[in-house]
Amino acid sequence: MIQRISYAFRETIASFRRNVTLSMAAVITSAVSLLLVGATFLMQRAFDNLLVQWRGDVGMIVFVRPDVTPEALKFVEQNLKSQPNVIDVDKLAYLDKAASFEEAKRVFAGDTTTLSLLSIDTIPSQFKVVPKTTDPELVRSLADQYRTLPGVAGVSLAEDEFDVISTLSGFVRTVTIAMSLVLLAVAVILIWNTIRTAIFARRREIEVMKLVGATDWFIRVPFIMEGLIQGLVGAMVSCVGLWTLNSAWTSGVAGFKAGTGVSSLVVPDSYLNGVMIALLIIGATAGGVGSGVASSKFLDV
Amino acid sequence: MIRLENVSKVYGADIPAVRDASFDIPKGEFVFLVGPSGSGKSTLLRLINRQERPERGNVWVAGRNINEMANSQIPYLRRTMGNVFQDYKLLPNKSVFENVAFALEVIGKPRHLIAQQVPQVLELVGLGDKEDRLPHQLSGGEQQRVSIARAFVNRPLILLADEPTGNLDPSTGEGIMSLLEAINGTGTTVVMATHDHRVVNAMRKRVIQLDRGIIVRDQERGVYE
Repeated sequence: MIQRISYAFRETIASFRRNVTLSMAAVITSAVSLLLVGATFLMQRAFDNLLVQWRGDVGMIVFVRPDVTPEALKFVEQNLKSQPNVIDVDKLAYLDKAASFEEAKRVFAGDTTTLSLLSIDTIPSQFKVVPKTTDPELVRSLADQYRTLPGVAGVSLAEDEFDVISTLSGFVRTVTIAMSLVLLAVAVILIWNTIRTAIFARRREIEVMKLVGATDWFIRVPFIMEGLIQGLVGAMVSCVGLWTLNSAWTSGVAGFKAGTGVSSLVVPDSYLNGVMIALLIIGATAGGVGSGVASSKFLDV
Repeated sequence: MIRLENVSKVYGADIPAVRDASFDIPKGEFVFLVGPSGSGKSTLLRLINRQERPERGNVWVAGRNINEMANSQIPYLRRTMGNVFQDYKLLPNKSVFENVAFALEVIGKPRHLIAQQVPQVLELVGLGDKEDRLPHQLSGGEQQRVSIARAFVNRPLILLADEPTGNLDPSTGEGIMSLLEAINGTGTTVVMATHDHRVVNAMRKRVIQLDRGIIVRDQERGVYE
């Protein structure tokens, strides 16, 4: 048994060396495709974090007209505070014009047209309201209560922004998954082709092996292992890449202020580890299956 | 040991390679398959080691109908046979020792047995001093001896030889024939396809003659004609 295993390993390594260029191509393609798969998972998770945070922190914003009278402002505030059953009063925050303007400058950083229309005098001040319920219908009816109050310019629901973000993240997910599937298919085909070439290079040896009575599995196993290792090495490379990218991203994001949303665009280490393990399994399986199919196709008696 | 019952093999649409062939080869016999190129000699050998399957008829080897054998059993069937070819089919990057050892390695023989059996069989074929040579450093006759050593190292019941002297000059061919005769003397059944008159006429063994896939003669102690 040990002899057979050592035979399989020797043959695998020898074959890898015979086809360095093709093997490298297969490894690199699987690495790139798996890196994309992994990045998709991480991006998705980061988006989810952001959405959860938004949903939790701000359910509703009540915009107050810039020319509001102090009495009307007071009335709105008291009204909000008078509903501790529905509204999380502790998290209720009032942003005056200056604070709102600062926030607008950040939110519309890329949108100079909108920004030029705003000034410290014309900008509405706002109450950030955190409802206690997460039921969108209840939040909507709460918003309706405030729309008609004097001095209120409008009420916006975080739910609306939420929809935009989730549509965006859904789109990004679809595109990246499609791309990574295509690349994964390319990787499997490349591995398949590498194995076919390896079998062709050794056809004389295989013919002799069959005539002296080697079993099909004995002949096949080194080739399957070769493909499996190509997939696995590709996956390892992609894990290193993913880890590097994630570290750079995490330390970059750490510079942002807490609570700005951007800082929640990170994933926990345990999730990263889970993704990396999944990549190793996908890589090894794809490589093993690709070479298994190739070796049974080209090794027929 | 080997029995064919009304065996027919057709290549492609309508090129018959073997038509309705029947014969019985008892254990320990030495048989020549003779006939011109394309008469079906090689096909008969390939039917016996099941590299081919017949369209009709049955092939029996050592009491088993090999057409009914599962594919997974074929390697074990082949371990009871040795094959020798006109072009030797040696692996060019392996030494003489490794070429012979290879046949035992791939069927999972333990290393100490390999270390014991390979030098023995190389001694038998007269290459005891050339273990470390590579095939291209040997003459044609010596390469054929390596190939015979590889076929015989596992002590097969049957040795199938396809034109083993085809690439060799007459005196070298004689050496190969006496080696095959010696192997036959140990009880191994030998079936040899050839169109070498001298060899057949010198040995006076059983001769099965083929012509366009049909057995036209089956004669004890025959000559080539």
